[in-house]
Amino acid sequence: MTTIQEFIKEIKNLKPIPAVANQLLAVVDNPDSSMGDIANVIQYDPIMTASVLKTCNSAFFGLKNPAESIKDAVNMMGTDQVIELVLLKSGTETLGGSQEGYGLEEGDMWKYSVSSAVIAKQVAVSLSLKNKNTIFTSALLKDIGKIILEKHVAQSSKKIKNLVENRNLSFREAEKKVFGIDHTELGAMIAKMWKFSPRMVKIIRHHHLTDEAMMEDKEIAAVYLADCICMMMGMGVGADGLSYRFKNQAMEKLGMKADDIALIIAQFGVDMQEIEELLNIV
Amino acid sequence: MKQIVGVADMKVSNNTGESIITYSLGSCIGLVIYDPVVKVAGMLHYMLPESSLDKDKARAKPYMFADSGIPRLFKSAYQLGAVKQRMKIYAAGGAEILDQKGFFNIGKRNYMALKKMFFKNNVMINKQNVGGNVNRTVRIEISTGDIFVKTSGSQEVKI
Repeated sequence: MTTIQEFIKEIKNLKPIPAVANQLLAVVDNPDSSMGDIANVIQYDPIMTASVLKTCNSAFFGLKNPAESIKDAVNMMGTDQVIELVLLKSGTETLGGSQEGYGLEEGDMWKYSVSSAVIAKQVAVSLSLKNKNTIFTSALLKDIGKIILEKHVAQSSKKIKNLVENRNLSFREAEKKVFGIDHTELGAMIAKMWKFSPRMVKIIRHHHLTDEAMMEDKEIAAVYLADCICMMMGMGVGADGLSYRFKNQAMEKLGMKADDIALIIAQFGVDMQEIEELLNIV
Repeated sequence: MKQIVGVADMKVSNNTGESIITYSLGSCIGLVIYDPVVKVAGMLHYMLPESSLDKDKARAKPYMFADSGIPRLFKSAYQLGAVKQRMKIYAAGGAEILDQKGFFNIGKRNYMALKKMFFKNNVMINKQNVGGNVNRTVRIEISTGDIFVKTSGSQEVKI
Protein backbone atom coordinates (compact mmCIF):
# COMPACT_ATOMS: atom_id res chain seq x y z
CA MET A 1 0.00 0.00 0.00
CA THR A 2 1.14 3.54 -0.74
CA THR A 3 2.06 5.30 2.48
CA ILE A 4 1.01 8.81 3.43
CA GLN A 5 4.64 9.90 2.99
CA GLU A 6 4.58 8.68 -0.59
CA PHE A 7 1.34 10.57 -1.26
CA ILE A 8 2.89 13.71 0.22
CA LYS A 9 5.86 13.28 -2.10
CA GLU A 10 3.48 13.07 -5.05
CA ILE A 11 1.66 16.21 -3.92
CA LYS A 12 4.98 18.06 -3.75
CA ASN A 13 5.54 17.19 -7.40
CA LEU A 14 2.27 18.85 -8.44
CA LYS A 15 2.42 22.35 -9.78
CA PRO A 16 0.39 24.37 -7.29
CA ILE A 17 -2.36 26.74 -8.35
CA PRO A 18 -1.15 30.35 -8.66
CA ALA A 19 -0.72 32.17 -5.35
CA VAL A 20 -2.94 35.00 -6.59
CA ALA A 21 -6.00 32.73 -6.17
CA ASN A 22 -5.40 32.36 -2.44
CA GLN A 23 -4.63 36.03 -1.96
CA LEU A 24 -7.74 36.95 -3.87
CA LEU A 25 -9.94 34.67 -1.80
CA ALA A 26 -8.57 36.17 1.39
CA VAL A 27 -9.67 39.58 0.16
CA VAL A 28 -12.98 38.88 -1.56
CA ASP A 29 -14.87 37.20 1.23
CA ASN A 30 -13.90 39.98 3.59
CA PRO A 31 -16.86 42.40 3.62
CA ASP A 32 -14.55 45.36 4.25
CA SER A 33 -12.58 44.89 1.02
CA SER A 34 -13.01 47.41 -1.74
CA MET A 35 -12.92 47.01 -5.49
CA GLY A 36 -9.48 48.62 -5.40
CA ASP A 37 -8.16 45.98 -2.97
CA ILE A 38 -9.28 43.27 -5.33
CA ALA A 39 -7.74 44.89 -8.38
CA ASN A 40 -4.48 45.35 -6.48
CA VAL A 41 -4.20 41.67 -5.64
CA ILE A 42 -4.68 40.67 -9.27
CA GLN A 43 -2.35 43.33 -10.66
CA TYR A 44 0.43 41.96 -8.50
CA ASP A 45 0.53 38.94 -10.80
CA PRO A 46 1.44 40.19 -14.29
CA ILE A 47 0.85 36.87 -16.06
CA MET A 48 -2.60 36.57 -14.56
CA THR A 49 -3.36 40.19 -15.37
CA ALA A 50 -2.41 39.75 -19.02
CA SER A 51 -4.40 36.57 -19.25
CA VAL A 52 -7.52 38.07 -17.64
CA LEU A 53 -7.38 41.12 -19.90
CA LYS A 54 -7.04 38.94 -22.98
CA THR A 55 -10.14 37.00 -22.01
CA CYS A 56 -12.09 40.13 -21.08
CA ASN A 57 -11.33 41.60 -24.48
CA SER A 58 -12.34 38.45 -26.37
CA ALA A 59 -15.47 38.52 -28.50
CA PHE A 60 -17.27 36.45 -25.85
CA PHE A 61 -17.73 39.46 -23.56
CA GLY A 62 -18.34 41.95 -26.35
CA LEU A 63 -16.94 44.99 -24.53
CA LYS A 64 -17.35 48.26 -26.44
CA ASN A 65 -13.89 49.49 -25.49
CA PRO A 66 -11.01 47.21 -24.59
CA ALA A 67 -10.16 46.87 -20.89
CA GLU A 68 -6.60 48.07 -20.42
CA SER A 69 -6.23 47.36 -16.73
CA ILE A 70 -7.83 45.14 -14.11
CA LYS A 71 -9.58 48.27 -12.80
CA ASP A 72 -11.10 48.81 -16.26
CA ALA A 73 -12.21 45.20 -16.36
CA VAL A 74 -13.80 45.43 -12.92
CA ASN A 75 -15.61 48.62 -13.92
CA MET A 76 -16.89 47.22 -17.18
CA MET A 77 -17.72 43.67 -16.20
CA GLY A 78 -18.31 43.80 -12.49
CA THR A 79 -16.16 42.52 -9.65
CA ASP A 80 -17.72 39.06 -9.51
CA GLN A 81 -17.06 38.29 -13.15
CA VAL A 82 -13.40 39.31 -12.90
CA ILE A 83 -12.89 37.36 -9.68
CA GLU A 84 -14.41 34.27 -11.23
CA LEU A 85 -12.18 34.58 -14.27
CA VAL A 86 -9.08 34.68 -12.07
CA LEU A 87 -10.26 31.68 -10.06
CA LEU A 88 -11.10 29.73 -13.21
CA LYS A 89 -7.75 30.53 -14.78
CA SER A 90 -6.05 29.44 -11.56
CA GLY A 91 -7.53 25.97 -11.77
CA THR A 92 -7.29 25.25 -15.46
CA GLU A 93 -3.71 24.00 -15.54
CA THR A 94 -4.12 21.68 -12.57
CA LEU A 95 -7.50 20.27 -13.55
CA GLY A 96 -7.34 20.48 -17.33
CA GLY A 97 -5.68 17.12 -18.02
CA SER A 98 -7.11 13.63 -18.29
CA GLN A 99 -7.69 11.38 -15.27
CA GLU A 100 -7.61 7.99 -16.87
CA GLY A 101 -7.91 6.09 -13.61
CA TYR A 102 -11.35 7.65 -13.27
CA GLY A 103 -12.13 7.14 -16.95
CA LEU A 104 -12.07 10.89 -17.60
CA GLU A 105 -10.71 12.18 -20.88
CA GLU A 106 -8.84 15.44 -21.27
CA GLY A 107 -11.10 18.34 -20.40
CA ASP A 108 -13.79 16.23 -18.69
CA MET A 109 -12.62 17.02 -15.17
CA TRP A 110 -12.25 20.68 -15.98
CA LYS A 111 -15.71 21.03 -17.50
CA TYR A 112 -17.18 19.22 -14.53
CA SER A 113 -15.26 21.35 -12.03
CA VAL A 114 -16.38 24.59 -13.64
CA SER A 115 -19.98 23.39 -13.87
CA SER A 116 -19.85 22.34 -10.26
CA ALA A 117 -18.57 25.77 -9.25
CA VAL A 118 -21.29 27.55 -11.25
CA ILE A 119 -24.01 25.37 -9.73
CA ALA A 120 -22.61 25.72 -6.20
CA LYS A 121 -22.74 29.47 -6.59
CA GLN A 122 -26.31 29.24 -7.82
CA VAL A 123 -27.22 27.17 -4.75
CA ALA A 124 -25.42 29.69 -2.53
CA VAL A 125 -27.37 32.55 -4.09
CA SER A 126 -30.71 30.77 -3.77
CA LEU A 127 -30.01 30.05 -0.10
CA SER A 128 -28.58 33.55 0.53
CA LEU A 129 -25.31 32.09 1.82
CA LYS A 130 -22.36 34.38 2.38
CA ASN A 131 -18.82 33.54 1.22
CA LYS A 132 -20.01 32.86 -2.32
CA ASN A 133 -16.50 33.05 -3.72
CA THR A 134 -15.17 30.51 -1.25
CA ILE A 135 -18.08 28.21 -2.12
CA PHE A 136 -17.41 28.73 -5.85
CA THR A 137 -13.70 27.96 -5.49
CA SER A 138 -14.19 25.02 -3.13
CA ALA A 139 -16.59 23.47 -5.62
CA LEU A 140 -14.12 24.15 -8.42
CA LEU A 141 -11.24 22.44 -6.61
CA LYS A 142 -13.04 19.85 -4.47
CA ASP A 143 -11.89 16.84 -6.49
CA ILE A 144 -8.26 17.87 -6.67
CA GLY A 145 -7.39 14.72 -4.71
CA LYS A 146 -8.38 12.67 -7.74
CA ILE A 147 -5.40 14.06 -9.62
CA ILE A 148 -3.08 12.17 -7.29
CA LEU A 149 -5.32 9.20 -6.69
CA GLU A 150 -6.17 8.47 -10.31
CA LYS A 151 -2.94 6.57 -11.05
CA HIS A 152 -3.55 4.38 -8.02
CA VAL A 153 -7.20 3.90 -8.95
CA ALA A 154 -6.08 2.77 -12.41
CA GLN A 155 -3.78 0.14 -10.90
CA SER A 156 -6.45 -1.17 -8.54
CA SER A 157 -9.44 -0.74 -10.80
CA LYS A 158 -10.57 -4.38 -10.61
CA LYS A 159 -10.42 -4.43 -6.83
CA ILE A 160 -12.38 -1.18 -6.57
CA LYS A 161 -14.94 -2.29 -9.15
CA ASN A 162 -15.51 -5.47 -7.23
CA LEU A 163 -16.06 -3.60 -3.96
CA VAL A 164 -18.54 -1.21 -5.59
CA GLU A 165 -20.46 -3.80 -7.58
CA ASN A 166 -20.48 -6.70 -5.15
CA ARG A 167 -19.98 -5.23 -1.71
CA ASN A 168 -22.32 -2.29 -2.05
CA LEU A 169 -19.60 0.25 -1.27
CA SER A 170 -19.63 3.73 -2.74
CA PHE A 171 -16.63 4.56 -4.92
CA ARG A 172 -15.22 6.78 -2.17
CA GLU A 173 -15.65 4.03 0.41
CA ALA A 174 -13.84 1.65 -1.93
CA GLU A 175 -10.95 4.14 -2.30
CA LYS A 176 -10.69 4.33 1.46
CA LYS A 177 -10.72 0.56 1.82
CA VAL A 178 -8.11 -0.07 -0.87
CA PHE A 179 -5.74 2.86 -0.27
CA GLY A 180 -6.45 3.77 3.36
CA ILE A 181 -7.24 7.29 2.12
CA ASP A 182 -9.92 8.68 -0.21
CA HIS A 183 -9.90 11.56 -2.70
CA THR A 184 -11.53 13.97 -0.22
CA GLU A 185 -8.82 13.40 2.41
CA LEU A 186 -6.11 13.61 -0.19
CA GLY A 187 -7.71 16.78 -1.60
CA ALA A 188 -7.69 18.34 1.86
CA MET A 189 -4.00 17.44 2.25
CA ILE A 190 -3.22 19.17 -1.04
CA ALA A 191 -5.32 22.18 -0.05
CA LYS A 192 -3.46 22.45 3.25
CA MET A 193 -0.03 22.14 1.64
CA TRP A 194 -1.01 24.81 -0.87
CA LYS A 195 -2.09 27.04 2.04
CA PHE A 196 -5.77 27.29 1.16
CA SER A 197 -7.88 28.79 3.94
CA PRO A 198 -8.96 26.38 6.71
CA ARG A 199 -12.53 26.96 5.51
CA MET A 200 -11.73 25.66 2.01
CA VAL A 201 -9.72 22.75 3.38
CA LYS A 202 -12.77 21.79 5.43
CA ILE A 203 -15.21 22.05 2.52
CA ILE A 204 -12.95 19.95 0.27
CA ARG A 205 -12.44 17.39 3.04
CA HIS A 206 -16.17 16.95 3.66
CA HIS A 207 -17.71 17.46 0.23
CA HIS A 208 -19.18 13.95 0.20
CA LEU A 209 -20.66 14.46 3.70
CA THR A 210 -18.98 11.28 4.90
CA ASP A 211 -19.23 12.73 8.39
CA GLU A 212 -22.97 13.39 8.58
CA ALA A 213 -22.52 15.99 11.30
CA MET A 214 -21.17 18.22 8.50
CA MET A 215 -24.68 18.50 7.03
CA GLU A 216 -25.28 21.31 9.53
CA ASP A 217 -22.70 23.36 7.65
CA LYS A 218 -24.68 24.87 4.79
CA GLU A 219 -21.64 25.83 2.76
CA ILE A 220 -20.44 22.23 2.75
CA ALA A 221 -23.95 20.99 1.99
CA ALA A 222 -24.21 23.46 -0.91
CA VAL A 223 -20.99 22.16 -2.48
CA TYR A 224 -22.20 18.61 -1.88
CA LEU A 225 -25.50 19.35 -3.62
CA ALA A 226 -23.69 20.90 -6.59
CA ASP A 227 -21.65 17.70 -6.90
CA CYS A 228 -24.83 15.58 -6.83
CA ILE A 229 -26.43 17.73 -9.53
CA CYS A 230 -23.34 17.36 -11.74
CA MET A 231 -23.49 13.60 -11.30
CA MET A 232 -27.14 13.56 -12.30
CA MET A 233 -26.23 15.57 -15.38
CA GLY A 234 -23.57 12.99 -16.21
CA MET A 235 -20.81 15.56 -15.81
CA GLY A 236 -17.40 14.43 -14.61
CA VAL A 237 -18.86 10.98 -14.27
CA GLY A 238 -16.25 8.43 -15.21
CA ALA A 239 -15.41 4.91 -14.10
CA ASP A 240 -16.78 5.84 -10.67
CA GLY A 241 -20.21 6.38 -12.18
CA LEU A 242 -22.84 7.82 -9.85
CA SER A 243 -21.61 5.49 -7.12
CA TYR A 244 -21.60 8.02 -4.32
CA ARG A 245 -24.17 8.39 -1.58
CA PHE A 246 -27.15 10.69 -1.79
CA LYS A 247 -28.33 12.08 1.55
CA ASN A 248 -31.96 13.11 1.64
CA GLN A 249 -31.33 14.51 5.10
CA ALA A 250 -28.81 17.01 3.76
CA MET A 251 -31.50 18.33 1.41
CA GLU A 252 -33.84 18.77 4.37
CA LYS A 253 -31.18 20.68 6.28
CA LEU A 254 -30.67 22.96 3.29
CA GLY A 255 -34.44 23.34 2.91
CA MET A 256 -34.18 22.05 -0.65
CA LYS A 257 -37.13 20.17 -2.09
CA ALA A 258 -36.90 17.95 -5.16
CA ASP A 259 -38.49 20.70 -7.28
CA ASP A 260 -35.91 23.23 -6.07
CA ILE A 261 -33.20 20.90 -7.31
CA ALA A 262 -35.03 20.34 -10.59
CA LEU A 263 -35.21 24.13 -11.05
CA ILE A 264 -31.44 24.42 -10.58
CA ILE A 265 -30.97 21.64 -13.14
CA ALA A 266 -33.28 23.45 -15.58
CA GLN A 267 -31.38 26.72 -15.10
CA PHE A 268 -28.13 24.88 -15.67
CA GLY A 269 -29.60 23.48 -18.90
CA VAL A 270 -30.05 27.06 -20.06
CA ASP A 271 -26.61 28.25 -18.86
CA MET A 272 -24.71 25.30 -20.22
CA GLN A 273 -24.02 26.72 -23.65
CA GLU A 274 -22.55 29.83 -22.10
CA ILE A 275 -20.36 27.75 -19.82
CA GLU A 276 -19.08 25.76 -22.79
CA GLU A 277 -18.20 28.98 -24.59
CA LEU A 278 -16.49 30.30 -21.49
CA LEU A 279 -14.47 27.08 -21.21
CA ASN A 280 -13.17 27.61 -24.70
CA ILE A 281 -11.71 31.00 -23.89
CA VAL A 282 -10.45 30.61 -20.32
CA MET B 1 -20.47 12.33 -40.07
CA LYS B 2 -21.73 12.46 -36.52
CA GLN B 3 -24.72 14.51 -35.51
CA ILE B 4 -24.31 15.43 -31.87
CA VAL B 5 -27.33 15.76 -29.63
CA GLY B 6 -26.50 18.10 -26.77
CA VAL B 7 -28.21 18.22 -23.40
CA ALA B 8 -31.86 19.31 -23.78
CA ASP B 9 -31.54 18.76 -27.51
CA MET B 10 -32.95 16.60 -30.32
CA LYS B 11 -31.89 15.55 -33.82
CA VAL B 12 -33.59 13.56 -36.57
CA SER B 13 -32.00 12.46 -39.82
CA ASN B 14 -32.48 10.18 -42.81
CA ASN B 15 -28.93 10.65 -44.09
CA THR B 16 -27.57 7.09 -44.21
CA GLY B 17 -23.99 8.32 -44.12
CA GLU B 18 -24.51 9.68 -40.62
CA SER B 19 -24.78 8.52 -37.09
CA ILE B 20 -26.44 10.39 -34.22
CA ILE B 21 -24.76 10.46 -30.82
CA THR B 22 -25.40 11.87 -27.37
CA TYR B 23 -22.76 11.93 -24.65
CA SER B 24 -22.79 11.19 -20.97
CA LEU B 25 -26.35 10.53 -19.90
CA GLY B 26 -26.48 10.48 -16.12
CA SER B 27 -30.02 10.77 -14.82
CA CYS B 28 -31.07 12.26 -18.15
CA ILE B 29 -32.75 9.99 -20.70
CA GLY B 30 -31.57 9.40 -24.25
CA LEU B 31 -34.51 8.28 -26.33
CA VAL B 32 -33.75 6.80 -29.74
CA ILE B 33 -36.37 6.03 -32.41
CA TYR B 34 -35.80 4.39 -35.77
CA ASP B 35 -37.98 3.43 -38.72
CA PRO B 36 -36.06 0.73 -40.65
CA VAL B 37 -38.19 1.06 -43.81
CA VAL B 38 -37.45 4.71 -44.53
CA LYS B 39 -34.21 4.70 -42.47
CA VAL B 40 -35.17 7.63 -40.33
CA ALA B 41 -33.56 7.97 -36.91
CA GLY B 42 -34.24 10.41 -34.12
CA MET B 43 -32.64 11.04 -30.76
CA LEU B 44 -33.73 13.15 -27.79
CA HIS B 45 -31.67 13.96 -24.68
CA TYR B 46 -33.98 15.30 -21.98
CA MET B 47 -33.07 16.31 -18.43
CA LEU B 48 -36.29 16.43 -16.44
CA PRO B 49 -39.73 14.79 -16.42
CA GLU B 50 -42.30 17.57 -16.47
CA SER B 51 -42.43 20.93 -18.20
CA SER B 52 -44.92 22.23 -15.61
CA LEU B 53 -41.83 22.89 -13.46
CA ASP B 54 -40.99 26.00 -15.48
CA LYS B 55 -43.21 26.89 -18.43
CA ASP B 56 -40.93 29.65 -19.72
CA LYS B 57 -37.94 27.34 -19.91
CA ALA B 58 -40.10 24.68 -21.57
CA ARG B 59 -41.06 27.19 -24.24
CA ALA B 60 -37.45 28.24 -24.81
CA LYS B 61 -36.02 24.72 -24.54
CA PRO B 62 -38.76 22.14 -25.15
CA TYR B 63 -36.25 19.30 -25.34
CA MET B 64 -35.35 19.82 -21.71
CA PHE B 65 -38.46 17.96 -20.53
CA ALA B 66 -39.94 14.54 -21.30
CA ASP B 67 -43.49 15.72 -21.84
CA SER B 68 -42.58 18.57 -24.18
CA GLY B 69 -39.66 16.83 -25.92
CA ILE B 70 -40.99 13.35 -26.72
CA PRO B 71 -43.96 14.45 -28.89
CA ARG B 72 -41.65 16.76 -30.85
CA LEU B 73 -39.19 13.92 -31.43
CA PHE B 74 -41.88 11.71 -32.93
CA LYS B 75 -43.43 14.50 -35.01
CA SER B 76 -40.04 15.42 -36.47
CA ALA B 77 -39.48 11.78 -37.48
CA TYR B 78 -42.96 11.60 -39.05
CA GLN B 79 -42.09 14.60 -41.16
CA LEU B 80 -39.28 12.56 -42.72
CA GLY B 81 -41.71 9.76 -43.52
CA ALA B 82 -41.35 7.60 -40.41
CA VAL B 83 -44.45 5.69 -39.30
CA LYS B 84 -45.30 5.08 -35.65
CA GLN B 85 -46.15 1.37 -36.07
CA ARG B 86 -42.77 0.60 -37.66
CA MET B 87 -40.72 2.49 -35.13
CA LYS B 88 -38.05 0.70 -33.06
CA ILE B 89 -37.61 2.38 -29.70
CA TYR B 90 -34.57 2.37 -27.43
CA ALA B 91 -34.10 4.21 -24.14
CA ALA B 92 -30.93 4.72 -22.07
CA GLY B 93 -29.93 6.72 -19.01
CA GLY B 94 -32.07 7.44 -15.97
CA ALA B 95 -29.18 6.53 -13.67
CA GLU B 96 -29.30 7.31 -9.97
CA ILE B 97 -26.88 8.19 -7.18
CA LEU B 98 -26.68 5.54 -4.43
CA ASP B 99 -29.53 5.90 -1.90
CA GLN B 100 -31.29 8.52 -4.02
CA LYS B 101 -34.85 7.94 -2.91
CA GLY B 102 -38.37 9.05 -3.70
CA PHE B 103 -39.03 12.34 -5.38
CA PHE B 104 -35.30 13.15 -5.32
CA ASN B 105 -34.64 10.25 -7.69
CA ILE B 106 -34.75 12.28 -10.87
CA GLY B 107 -33.37 9.41 -12.98
CA LYS B 108 -36.26 7.18 -12.07
CA ARG B 109 -38.78 10.00 -12.49
CA ASN B 110 -37.40 10.69 -15.95
CA TYR B 111 -37.93 7.06 -16.87
CA MET B 112 -41.43 6.94 -15.36
CA ALA B 113 -42.41 10.02 -17.39
CA LEU B 114 -41.40 8.17 -20.54
CA LYS B 115 -43.26 4.99 -19.57
CA LYS B 116 -46.38 6.93 -18.71
CA MET B 117 -46.41 8.74 -22.02
CA PHE B 118 -45.76 5.55 -24.00
CA PHE B 119 -48.47 3.65 -22.12
CA LYS B 120 -51.02 6.34 -22.95
CA ASN B 121 -50.01 6.36 -26.61
CA ASN B 122 -49.63 2.64 -27.03
CA VAL B 123 -45.89 2.67 -27.77
CA MET B 124 -43.57 -0.16 -26.72
CA ILE B 125 -39.89 0.17 -25.83
CA ASN B 126 -37.95 -2.52 -27.73
CA LYS B 127 -34.69 -2.33 -25.81
CA GLN B 128 -33.34 -0.28 -22.96
CA ASN B 129 -30.36 0.28 -20.67
CA VAL B 130 -31.91 2.28 -17.89
CA GLY B 131 -31.13 2.91 -14.21
CA GLY B 132 -28.11 1.77 -12.24
CA ASN B 133 -25.24 4.04 -11.25
CA VAL B 134 -23.40 4.45 -14.56
CA ASN B 135 -23.43 7.12 -17.21
CA ARG B 136 -23.94 6.21 -20.82
CA THR B 137 -23.09 7.51 -24.27
CA VAL B 138 -25.46 6.36 -27.01
CA ARG B 139 -25.02 6.26 -30.78
CA ILE B 140 -27.20 5.05 -33.66
CA GLU B 141 -26.05 4.34 -37.21
CA ILE B 142 -28.72 5.54 -39.56
CA SER B 143 -27.90 3.12 -42.42
CA THR B 144 -28.37 0.02 -40.26
CA GLY B 145 -30.29 1.19 -37.20
CA ASP B 146 -27.57 -0.39 -35.05
CA ILE B 147 -27.36 1.16 -31.61
CA PHE B 148 -24.19 1.31 -29.51
CA VAL B 149 -23.83 2.21 -25.85
CA LYS B 150 -20.68 3.10 -23.93
CA THR B 151 -20.22 3.59 -20.21
CA SER B 152 -17.19 5.58 -18.97
CA GLY B 153 -14.04 3.54 -18.65
CA SER B 154 -15.47 0.71 -20.82
CA GLN B 155 -15.61 -0.09 -24.51
CA GLU B 156 -18.60 0.74 -26.69
CA VAL B 157 -20.93 -2.25 -27.13
CA LYS B 158 -23.62 -2.95 -29.71
CA ILE B 159 -27.11 -3.40 -28.32
